[in-house]
Amino acid sequence: MTKQTFLHDRHIELGAKMVDFAGWDMPVQYTSIIEEHKTVRESVGLFDVSHMGELIVQGKDALPFLQKLVPQDIKKLVNSKAVYCQLPNKDGGLIDDLIIYKMEENKYLIIANASRVDEDLNWITRNSLGFDVKIINESHNYSLLALQGPKACDLIRSLGIIELPPFFSIKRGVLFNINLWISRTGYTGEDGIEIMVYNDYAEYLWDKLLEAGKTYGIKPIGLGARDTLRLEASLPLYGNDLDTETTPVEAGLAWSVAKDKTEDYNGKERIMDQIKNGTDKKIVGFKMLDRGIARHGYEVFKDGEKVGIVTSGGISPTRGDNIGMAYVQLKSKNLDNFPVGSTIQIMIREKLHDAEIVKRPFVVKRNKG
Amino acid sequence: MDENMLCTKTHEYILDKGENYEVGITDYAINQLGDIVFVELPEVDTEFSKNEVFATIESVKAASEIYMPVSGKVIEVNEEIVNSPELLNDENYAEKWFVKIESNADQVEFADLMEYSDYKEEIE
Repeated sequence: MTKQTFLHDRHIELGAKMVDFAGWDMPVQYTSIIEEHKTVRESVGLFDVSHMGELIVQGKDALPFLQKLVPQDIKKLVNSKAVYCQLPNKDGGLIDDLIIYKMEENKYLIIANASRVDEDLNWITRNSLGFDVKIINESHNYSLLALQGPKACDLIRSLGIIELPPFFSIKRGVLFNINLWISRTGYTGEDGIEIMVYNDYAEYLWDKLLEAGKTYGIKPIGLGARDTLRLEASLPLYGNDLDTETTPVEAGLAWSVAKDKTEDYNGKERIMDQIKNGTDKKIVGFKMLDRGIARHGYEVFKDGEKVGIVTSGGISPTRGDNIGMAYVQLKSKNLDNFPVGSTIQIMIREKLHDAEIVKRPFVVKRNKG
Repeated sequence: MDENMLCTKTHEYILDKGENYEVGITDYAINQLGDIVFVELPEVDTEFSKNEVFATIESVKAASEIYMPVSGKVIEVNEEIVNSPELLNDENYAEKWFVKIESNADQVEFADLMEYSDYKEEIE
């Protein structure tokens, strides 16, 4: 039985095409993925991302417990700040990627991928033995709306929230007399916010935001454009670019691993070894040199030899070409034979298509506020 | 869409133009796919048997293979949609056929194709 968010009726009324995503019946598009994508790059879009998980970790040992779970240094997190991190297993492979917010002393909020909430809870609970913590799954109580695009913050300011939280911070706010949480985060590479609100107010808030946003050119945005937007911003998608076989270093996420963290955490040995000594598998960004479209799972070749696999790929509505990310096998740990500007081939329907390694992100991010 | 066309369960259509046949996909299929961003068509003179893949189209989300409704030989391809795949999503664009074929297919090959009116009922 597929799950529905509290905005499901609204999606149907708006004529959305619905698809199953991680067990949820979600809107993939309302009108056109390309149009919706451009709306977010040019003005502002509203997303229903209520399928994502919200977990609360609280208690006397909340900090040492989280320190054991993630490679980021959570003790450096001050109240109302957020940090992007991953949940590694003992071998450094990733169970999920997360955003952790420090809500107050001894209380943290974890935003988890919809497809991984159950796995995360299972893993987190199994690790909690001996820690004085409570782990509460709040996913069924909250709806999550994302307001993204260059005009997102203007819209929110026009509604009375003058002081927006800084990038990767969260604060309480009131919109249309509704108490909610506003965080300066997103999954598009644009400036914007995400709003956490009790389910009962989700529909009312959705309607009000669409109404108030009209003068800013607001449109509802489906998961299709969410995917093309995050790909252009080179943000990883769990299940596509991240899995239990891949470490944060291989995934190009070493920037989100604390190098000087003294506490032990799951997977630390392998992750820190890779940071020190390198890795022979790495993620690269590429652009197609012809009209071929690379997709998840397509094989990557170099000099006639299979060297890797595409993790995400598709069109870039902003750039007008076709882009993707792939894991490639390096000749050795310290010999990167896939520098920017070099050529690889992608196997598309039994034909090799040339692609060029390019810098990531594929479009300039504008989300630092 | 032309009421005289015959449709497959996989949403291709074939339309008898007298001298030859026009083959493409239905408006319903285009609508379901969303933004079409890539069309690959065969070369003229290529021969296909019934149900063989003759074209590939890609929407933003995924690639789809297109099957030949009856056997035949390609005599013309619609280069316009290869060069501008987005035309398929344009309501005002009338030439949405993929290829024109010559076919000597017998009644047996046509037997499992649906009249357009039946197809419409099927998709509703």
